[in-house]
Amino acid sequence: MNKLLLLLVSVYSISFAHAQDGYITRQGEVTFFSYTSVENIQATNNQVLSLFYPSSSRIGVQILMRAFTFKKSLMYEHFNESYIESDLYPKATFEGDIIGFDANQEGSQTRIIKGTFTLRDITKPIEMKATIIKTNGAYTISGELEVLIKDYEIKVPPILSPNIAKNIQVSFKFQYVPNDDQK
Amino acid sequence: MIQVIHAQDLLKALEAETVEKSQPTIATFKGTHISIGHSVETRKKGVLEISSMNRFWNRPIPDSEPTQTFVADKWNSRVGLDYGVLDRFTVGAGYSTDNRSVDVFGKYRLFYQRDSGKTFPFSITLFQGGVYREKSSIRLPLYEGSPMEKEVSSKDKFAATTQVLIARKISRNFSLQIAPTYVYRAEDGLVADESAHHFALGFGARYKVSNHVSIVSEYYYVPNPVDFVDTYGPFSLGANWELSDVLLQFKLTNARDFVEDQFIIKTGNNFNFRDGNLHFGFHATYFIQL
Repeated sequence: MNKLLLLLVSVYSISFAHAQDGYITRQGEVTFFSYTSVENIQATNNQVLSLFYPSSSRIGVQILMRAFTFKKSLMYEHFNESYIESDLYPKATFEGDIIGFDANQEGSQTRIIKGTFTLRDITKPIEMKATIIKTNGAYTISGELEVLIKDYEIKVPPILSPNIAKNIQVSFKFQYVPNDDQK
Repeated sequence: MIQVIHAQDLLKALEAETVEKSQPTIATFKGTHISIGHSVETRKKGVLEISSMNRFWNRPIPDSEPTQTFVADKWNSRVGLDYGVLDRFTVGAGYSTDNRSVDVFGKYRLFYQRDSGKTFPFSITLFQGGVYREKSSIRLPLYEGSPMEKEVSSKDKFAATTQVLIARKISRNFSLQIAPTYVYRAEDGLVADESAHHFALGFGARYKVSNHVSIVSEYYYVPNPVDFVDTYGPFSLGANWELSDVLLQFKLTNARDFVEDQFIIKTGNNFNFRDGNLHFGFHATYFIQL
């Protein structure tokens, strides 16, 4: 019993040790596009929070839905009020691992990121191709993915369904710096 | 085991790094009008809205007399343009057919309701409108005691409305608005023993029944109505339907006019389902981002 406890403590402290080498960005950029023949919609969020642990190749992302900006102010209102319902579900989160990531490799490497994406309290497994660039001890991760609106139960009234794409194209770019203010 | 601990750590770590920001509450009402009157909402900078407002009603005709009008006997219409000068400041102008009136308004958002961070319980907007109405609702005697009548002079065809619109989005579906209102109608001051100054209190509410449809209602209480003609508080019950760039507003009301001073102070019929009293209203507002 004591040994088991010791094991648990040591596992916990290993994961805690991983957290020590964390990198952070608060100005991560996430952009989504909805292309249809009727209407093109694009929105950008420049305030995405992300944590990255190179030694365990784990990555976490938190997106504040209200921080997406649209060219048309009415779309901002419809996005938050009628589709995403950001008063009920203010955040979207992603957590995952970079498969086969080498923390020591300088320069660029292209890898698959596997994880789970939570939007409107619905969690789905997701996979994307990403480019990780290491320069002077800082990391930049960028990539693209596709999100199906029906996976996250985003309701579009039939009369408006030609205006909103079934597959939303998402691109992201996170420029990490070492996270100094860790407890 | 390691994975589980990791996953929990990651979300907790993200949560710990979050800086909560105070966000203004959006969409207390969907349009700049609740139903017949203005709402606290202003349009964002660079937004142009084109609106067409219509009321249809039948004249009260005795049952013995056959009517020959198709669908509705009478129609009043206002076409308007609203423009967002700043996020907080919207100006607008319109022309209504029934009284041939030209109206202008400005509304300024003083406070936004904030529910998170530094909170503020209400949205407050100041509204100022003015109108020149070519067709006056009153006739004056040509001279003291004369049976002949004359037209009200042009300088007395102006009216103005000042409102403090106070609203709260109580829940995600339900919003309430109270509007202390002051109305100045120059022509009412010409009538013996009448004043050009009027006060009213407006009540408005909306209930969202789905993400795109809401039920709205409005009523204006006038504590000291004018004596020389029968007036009633304007009431409206309707539905608002949002379709991408278009907002459609349907309503049943006793208000025949679109400009605040006239429908608040001088609605001359009660709300019921008889001809001449029941008005069907249809507003369409088209949104353009410049």
